Parts: sequence; structure tokens; C-alpha cells
Amino acid sequence: MSASLEADHLFKVFGRRPEAAVDRLRQGADRKELRAEGTTAAVIDASFTVEAGRIFVVMGLSGSGKSTLLRMLNGLLEPTAGQVRFDGRDLTALDERELREVRSRKISMVFQHFALFPHRSVRDNAAYGLEVQGVPRAERERRADEALALCGLAGWEDSWPDELSGGMQQRVGLARALATDADLLLMDESFSALDPLIRRDMQDQLLELQRTLKKTIVFITHDLNEAMRLGDRIAVMRDGRIVQNGTAEDILLRPADDYVASFTQDVDRSRVLTAGAVMDPEVRGDEADCGCETAAPDTPVAELCAISARTGHPVAVLDGDGTLVGVVPRGRLVAFLGDEPDRPAACDGARRVPDARRSPDRGPAADAKEVTARA
Amino acid sequence: MPRLHLGDWVDSGVNWLVAHMSWLFDAVRAVVEGMYDGIDAVLTAPAPLLLAGILAVLAWWLRGLAAGVLAFAGFALIDSLALWDQAMSTLALVLVATVVALAISIPLGILAARSKAVSSAVRPALDLLQTMPSMVLLIPAILFFGLGTAAGVVATLVFALAPGVRMTELGIRQVDAELVEAAEAFGTRPRDTLLRVQLPLALPTIMAGVNQVIMLGLSMVVIAGMVGTGGLGGAVNEAIGQLDIGYGFEAGVGIVVLAIYLDRVTSALGTQLSPLGRRAAARAPRTTLTYRPRPVVAAVGAIVLALVAGGLGIFGSSTGTAAAAKDDVGKGKEIKIGYIPWDEGIASTYLWKEILEERGYKVTTTQYAAGPLYTGVATGQLDFQTDAWLPTTHAEYWKKYGKQLDDLGSWYQRTSLELTVPSYVKDVDSLADLKAHASEFGGKIVGIEPSAGMMGLLKDKVLKEYGLDGSYQVVDGSTPAMLAELKRDYARKQPVVVTLWSPHWAYSDYKLKKLKDPKGAWGKGDGVHTVARKGFAQDDPQVASWLKHFSMTEKQLTGLEAQIQKAGKGQEQQAVKTWLGQHPGLVDTWAPVERGSKDQAAG
Repeated sequence: MSASLEADHLFKVFGRRPEAAVDRLRQGADRKELRAEGTTAAVIDASFTVEAGRIFVVMGLSGSGKSTLLRMLNGLLEPTAGQVRFDGRDLTALDERELREVRSRKISMVFQHFALFPHRSVRDNAAYGLEVQGVPRAERERRADEALALCGLAGWEDSWPDELSGGMQQRVGLARALATDADLLLMDESFSALDPLIRRDMQDQLLELQRTLKKTIVFITHDLNEAMRLGDRIAVMRDGRIVQNGTAEDILLRPADDYVASFTQDVDRSRVLTAGAVMDPEVRGDEADCGCETAAPDTPVAELCAISARTGHPVAVLDGDGTLVGVVPRGRLVAFLGDEPDRPAACDGARRVPDARRSPDRGPAADAKEVTARA
Repeated sequence: MPRLHLGDWVDSGVNWLVAHMSWLFDAVRAVVEGMYDGIDAVLTAPAPLLLAGILAVLAWWLRGLAAGVLAFAGFALIDSLALWDQAMSTLALVLVATVVALAISIPLGILAARSKAVSSAVRPALDLLQTMPSMVLLIPAILFFGLGTAAGVVATLVFALAPGVRMTELGIRQVDAELVEAAEAFGTRPRDTLLRVQLPLALPTIMAGVNQVIMLGLSMVVIAGMVGTGGLGGAVNEAIGQLDIGYGFEAGVGIVVLAIYLDRVTSALGTQLSPLGRRAAARAPRTTLTYRPRPVVAAVGAIVLALVAGGLGIFGSSTGTAAAAKDDVGKGKEIKIGYIPWDEGIASTYLWKEILEERGYKVTTTQYAAGPLYTGVATGQLDFQTDAWLPTTHAEYWKKYGKQLDDLGSWYQRTSLELTVPSYVKDVDSLADLKAHASEFGGKIVGIEPSAGMMGLLKDKVLKEYGLDGSYQVVDGSTPAMLAELKRDYARKQPVVVTLWSPHWAYSDYKLKKLKDPKGAWGKGDGVHTVARKGFAQDDPQVASWLKHFSMTEKQLTGLEAQIQKAGKGQEQQAVKTWLGQHPGLVDTWAPVERGSKDQAAG
């Protein structure tokens, strides 16, 4: 069971007279003006909702305020203004004791550098949250072992953190967070310290676990690829503000500003975009009649390219009921991958277009012509 | 610049504290002395080698076989140097100081780690305690806590506190902030964060601090020895006062053995206490040298030894005290004598100890530096001392404490102050000859403590009288340094001129020439006086009257001193007994008792 999380106009200002700074920020003051006076606005007017059972990724560079934002969600930092509501409770209204209670039962956290207790065995680390709750030893060890098994660490219970590799240590961190059965999981750059292959593994494992556990997860990262892989929704932060909040596709196809757009350049579009995003919804109706391979709206572009390479003509996209919803001509695929919104320029050269079948590498050019012609 | 009367304020502050807070100091004193007596009683109860065995088993258990064997060898060495009691008293002192220091410094360190304000308030206070010369703190400590263990512990404590606080703060601050955050993120209460995360992880650093506290405490025992804590520190002071290199080295070795033992055992304890350290130790390769018994084995071993020790203690301690005194005037009344480790002081003090014990008093003697000794008598913690050089040498002390003291008169008149050169220095026989030979002596007169009365006299009067103030400079220093300089130059037959006084053992050890004083600039020589606390004469008129009439001839004094010198350390009273045996009748002369006619004459 999971619950939704809501952040409502959160501000966090460090320094002198933070409330006054918040007032000025509300009236449109700049972060730089405040900095000149010695106050730091870490988070400015952040609002978002995380649906129960979804992964919400906050993406931003260091200093953008994403870690501060995360720490306000479980009360490690007290917001200067604004509210955090979780499971219908206003966390900002709780006193220290109640807040600790919520943290020990409802909210878990996974850290960037694992933050395993070096003086406790793997099992005792995983059982830490339960120990804080006061769960009797036998039960908490059983539940810790279960959580460890879930994270693929069965058999390592009696080891010590410094005997494990980085990836395994973070699995212990994850197991520690899962063992308490918290509904909300806060993950602070949890995979950033791992090398790329292990990071990928961990992302896969998290998605795998999420399919069955359905936790509400807030995941912090500075890596947009990771954000797009994991996030049901993504918030991009810059200088303390959330500059865009949307799906991976929104970010990639409709960046809110140049800043966000500059991030998306490095993203592997073929893995993020799907047939639904690139298809041409205007159909004649007979494109799927030939019996060739077709795609679904959620087929990633990478796979779509493969299908397109195997079919001679534009790929038909059928939804779950088998209804034709669009077509993807090869030219459109190339345009999306190359991030080129404009149509191909007319070419007045005398060069004859070779037969697509005999030279597949020239194929997309032919399709592009077809798209242009049709448009 | 206007003169800031900081010293006066401190003076009156200390006086106010003495007058108004004595209940607090008395309470502290009672607690500290209670702890000390308890630990000392436990340590001195078993036979030395048994306790050495117990301590060795402890080292074996914590560090391994080699450590155990070496510990036993070390303590056996102390025993064979006949320093066992002193070493145990020092050990007890250091343990008490450590326990009290940790009880203060660890909580303070925790507070400092949690609050910047506390940290920045505590830091300068620690700097003050750690760098203020300990001798400066010693005198107020005596005024507050009296002579003896409490003042010694407090002086040690003050010095040793700082590393405990600093290392605790550092250890806690060093704990990875992410770990503390992790604990908080899982809803740990602040107290549990401290107990379950911060303290266990800070433990190695804290134990390093504990280790430093103990080491600094040990380095302070010599200073503490000056206020009458006895132990190895007292032995070292005694050796310094008499320039006895061998004895000083033996006592020093005793301190070193204790230091190494405590250092190794506490660092091993740190490893054993910390889960991380235990794991690292468990992974280290095992050899015979590092073999460690299991705790059960070690505990059984220690208990068996302790039981044996206890058994022996019970049966061995009934050796009985002194046989009943012949002329029991004192009826067990306690008398406390303090002394400076100078030859005539030791001789007269042990002489009176012996005489008074024969007369049925219970006498304790304790050795001090001159300053603390005067403080002790003036504040009534000691009954009397026999080594006051008046009116010149101890003039400063008399000025400060004279009103609180009773002068029972001088018992030895033939003292003199002088400048002295080795007899191989030709053509210099009188102070008047010095002027012409200034370059030969490098224009230097080797002096003693600048506070000594004779130094003032020398600088203000003697030099002027003989026109030496242009050509000579008086080098301030200390008595041991002066004697060492004399010894060094004497061995190399270098010309040297030193400040000296008679009687002094240097005159019998070296061939020296007292420079004549034709103008009488040094004045009449000091008398060696007996000085008692105010009111002693009323409390004990009999002893006071004996002391008033006491006097010794030069022959008696040098003879007694020679006897004591021959008998060696720790045998002073035995030497006095022997000497009194050779000079029958002296006890009755010095401490006459009204006897019935049927009493036979002493013989």
C-alpha cells in the first residue's frame, strides 16, 4: 500500500531572517540579490504531487537545491515556508517526536554514499530501522533477511559492509530502506557513486522491485538518462526552482526553456521516445493491411528503428485493441533522432534516387521525400 | 600603558574562594581521597609479584602473550628496585586522576561536539589549563585542597583534561555526517544517535584521548610529588634535590614502566571495546606472541591470582606495628612533619620521627618542595617542619606566611651563605679577588632559584659591596641545576663560582673553597629554625617545648647525615636508630620525660 506525496510551495532559505527572504522571493526577488546579502535560497517555491506507487525524479546539477528539497520531504530540514503532505498528513505541522515516528515507519531513505554503519553487520544494518521501531530481535532479523534476499543479498547477512563491493553495499542500503516497509522511499543520488554497468543493474533492479512493491519513490539524480529511465515524472531544478515538471517525453520533446533543452542533447532519444510520440496520427486506414510487422504506441524508438529496417514501408502503429492509431515513416524516425523539426530542403541536384531495396543505407532519404510529398 | 592589576584580582579571587567555597573543596577532597585510598588499598594489599601477575594476565588477555610477559617483567623490575609502594601509589593517583578527568572531559567533549557555542567557550579554557605552567596552578590547588593527594590529583587533572575533551569532540565530529543523517532519517532519537552511531564510531579517537589523559597524568606525577603525594614523583623530586642521578633514574624507570603498561593496555582496551577494532584484531594473523586467552580463561586466571593474593594478604598483614613505647607520652597522638629533601632537613625530620615514636606518638613524614611546605604548615595541614632557614634564605616565605606560623627557635646556628669555588681555582680566596678574575669565570655566577632569599642578598648587596655588579652576572636557575653545573665543571677542572651554603653535602663530596667575606656583606648566617603551625604549641605543649630546646652541634649533624647517607634510600629511620644507639642518652636530652624514681636509666 502506498500513499501520495504532495509538496506545496516549499521554500528553504539558509541565513539570517529567512522568513523575510521568503517574502521577498515571493515578490519576485532574485536568488542572486539574496546571496549578496548573505542568505542562500536553496529551494524556491517548489510544488509537485507524486501519485501513489510512482517514481518521481528530481533532476538538477549540484547546487540546484534538489538534495535540500528531498530533506524537507522527511523533515530532516524544516521548510522555511510551505507544506509537505504525505498520506493526508501535514508533515510540517508535526513536532520532533511525531516526525521521528513518521520517519521510522513511513519514510525511508537511501543515500548517495550508502551510509551503512561500518560497526554493524549487513544484517544489523538492514535491521536498523526496525531496531529503531523497537521490533523484537528475532522478528527484525527475519524481516531484514527477507529484505536482503529481495535485493539479491541472500547469504551475505553475516558479512560486514567493508567486505562488499559498492553495488552490493547500496543493495544493503536499499534493503535497509525496504525492511521497514515504509510507503515512501527517498533516494538521494543513490546510484551516482556506482560505476556505469553496476548503476544500470541497480536501475533495472529498482524498476523490477517497483513492479511488485509499488512504493512511492522520490529519486534525486543529476543524470538525465537515469531520470528518464526511472521516472514516471521528472522535475528539472535550476537555481532552487523547479523549471519543468513532466514526463520524460515532455522534457525531451517540449523542453520548457533552453536550459532544459541543453540537457536533453546528451540523452539517448531512441530509448526514451516511443512510437506514440513519433508517429504520424494521420492515417489513410489501410497501412496495416499488408501483414507486415507493426508497433505499439509504447514501443521505444530504438526498437521501432529495427522494425522499420525490416519493413520496406512506414511502420503501422496499432493500439491494444488492434486499432490503427498512426504510422511511422522512416524519415520521421531520422528527424526525431537527429532532433530536426524542419522538413528536408529541396534538392535540385540531378542525382537519381537509387532503389531503396538495393541500398538500404539510402532508404530513409527516400522516405523523407515521401513524407514531404505527403505533407 | 596603565598597569593592569590582574595578579591582585587573581589573588583576592583565590582568597575569596578559600574563604567562601571551602565546603565545596572539602567535598571534592573527600571524594578524591576516598577514591585514592580505596584504589591504593586494593593495589597494595597483595604481595607485589602477585599483583604483577594479575596485571600481566590483564595485558595478556588484552594484547597477547608477549605483552603479558613483558608486563610481568616490568613490574618485577619495579619491585626489585624497591619502588613497589611508590609505584602503586603513583598508579592509584593516576587512575583516580584519569577517572575524574574522563568523568568531566567526555561529557564536556560530547557537549562541545554538539554545540558550536560550547565548543568555542571550552576551547580557550582548555588552552589555559593546558599551557598555564603547572607550578602556577599548584599553589592555588594547595590552598583549595590542602597538601597531599587531592591537590596532586587536581593538578594532574587540570593538565590532563584537555586531550580528553578535544579528542572526544574530534571523534564525534569526525563521524561521517551521512551516517548521522542516516540515523536521523530512520527516526533515531538524538540520544540513541549518540549511543548507537556516534560514540561507537568515535570510540577509537576517544580511546586515544583516554590514552593521552593517562600519559599526561603520568608526566604530571613529578609535579604532583612536590605537593606531598609521594609515590614515584616524590622519589624523583627527592633525587633531584640531592642530585642523585642513580635514584632519579630508578624512579624514572618506574614511571616509564607504568606509562608503557598503561599506554599499551588502554590502547588495546580501545581496540577491544570498538566493534571495528575487534574485527580488525580478529583478522590479524595469530602467532604465539600475540596469542590471547579467551576472556573466561583470563578472568579465571585473574580471579585465582586475586584469591591467592587476598589469602596471603590476610595472613601476611599481621606483622604488627611497633612494639609499645617505653615512655608513652604521646599515647598514639598523630603528628605530621613535612620536610624539604635537603640533608639537614631529612636528618632532623627522621631524628624527630624516631624520638617522637619512642615517646609514643604516631608520626607521619612527607616530603615537599619549599613553597608547598610553607603553605602546608601555614594552613595547619602539617604540624611543624625543622628546616626553615631564617632570617635570610626563606625570607620570602616568612613574609607571606610568618603570621600563620610559630617560630620554635633555631636548632642549628652555624650556617652560612657564601660564594664558593672549587679548590683547584688558584688566587681566588675572597670575594674581593673575584673582580680581577671575571674573565676566567666568564663573568658568570651560577645562582639558584631567583625567589631564594640569598639570591636577593647577592644581587642587591654582595655584588655592590665588592664592586662586582659590572663584571659579573648572576644566572638564575635552580638548586639542582646549580649543583649539576658545579659537578660538570668540577669534573673538567673548569673554573666556576656558585652560590652555596653550609651545611651542604657538596662540601664533603667535592674539594671546595668558601670565598671569604671580609666586609661581612652576607651578614650573619641563618639559623635553621623549627617552625610550627599557629596553635601547635597550645595543642601539644610537650612536643613544642622539646622542639624549642632542641639544638645540634655541627659534629652531631654531620655524623647523622653521614650515617643516613651510608644507609641509603628508604633506610633513613633505621640509620637514625643506629646513630642514636651509638650516642646513648641523646633522646632523653632532647625529649626529657618526668619519670618515677624506679625507672631505670636508659641505656
